[in-house]
Amino acid sequence: MKIRNRGKGEKIEAQMAPMIDVVFQLLIFFMLTLKIVEPEGDFNINMPIGAPSTQTSEEINLPDIKVRLISNDAGQLVDLQLGRQSLGNGQQAFEQLNVKIKQVIGGPNNPLTKDMEVEIDADYNLHYSYIIEAISKCRGTLGPPPNYDLIPYVEKIKFAAPRPPS
Amino acid sequence: MRIESKAEQANEVDMTPMIDIVFQLIAFFMVITNFEQTQADERVKLPKDALAKPPTVKREFPLTINVGFDRDKKGNKIDPEAWVFFGDEQFRVEQAGQKLRDEQEYYKTIGTDPKEVTVEIRADAEVPTGQVQELIKMSQESGFEKFALRATQESR
Repeated sequence: MKIRNRGKGEKIEAQMAPMIDVVFQLLIFFMLTLKIVEPEGDFNINMPIGAPSTQTSEEINLPDIKVRLISNDAGQLVDLQLGRQSLGNGQQAFEQLNVKIKQVIGGPNNPLTKDMEVEIDADYNLHYSYIIEAISKCRGTLGPPPNYDLIPYVEKIKFAAPRPPS
Repeated sequence: MRIESKAEQANEVDMTPMIDIVFQLIAFFMVITNFEQTQADERVKLPKDALAKPPTVKREFPLTINVGFDRDKKGNKIDPEAWVFFGDEQFRVEQAGQKLRDEQEYYKTIGTDPKEVTVEIRADAEVPTGQVQELIKMSQESGFEKFALRATQESR
């Protein structure tokens, strides 16, 4: 209430109430429409039709790395195998798979083994989460903090023919 | 400028800080809201993985297929058999073939090669692998070649 300049330059006070009304409406609208979605990522798998015949024969074809996952009827993992070697089950089996894959390809970004493929062969009943874990362990590992950059191992991952339900 | 009522002048509240805060809040909610229509289905409980990274380039032709279970509000399975949730429809994995052929027809009519389409599979962590593989096989029979398996990004 400035009484001094009452005469000429009277200040016009902005009406705040309608603006605040609208602003609150907006706030409530955005609060209600908010839906927290967990960030999702994915793993590319390339499965062209008739895959084996399309491979170029001029290069030495390295054999596929075969990862076999055996399950029980309930869909739990019983045994994880790399080639013919059994790695057991549980978390440490997957960690071992990660280490072994690194050994097989001779370290990350090895130009000789960059075309190697992993073939995942799983039982019908096996829970899908194990597949994701196996793919993840074949795909690479995370680098040191704080960046956690991906250290790639094998880019190409495919599935073996589906097994019939037991 | 009510000069007459100077005596019983009501104490006017300073609105500025409140408006500042409210605007901040609005800006926050606006930024965090994504109106992008996702094909995500909340009935699907995706597996978690630390390496699952969102694609760096947005896919041109994504085709999302959800495979999950009918769950009650607590998240328990009502039906032990998996369903495919596709748009508003819901059917068994075995019946997905026809749907995929329809999709392939659709992509052909809009002039897109099905080979360019990425089939994004959002499968529940407990879905039997065989059913996911069957779905991939059926997609291949319909001419789709690129696949992506979705997982939730695990926080470190």
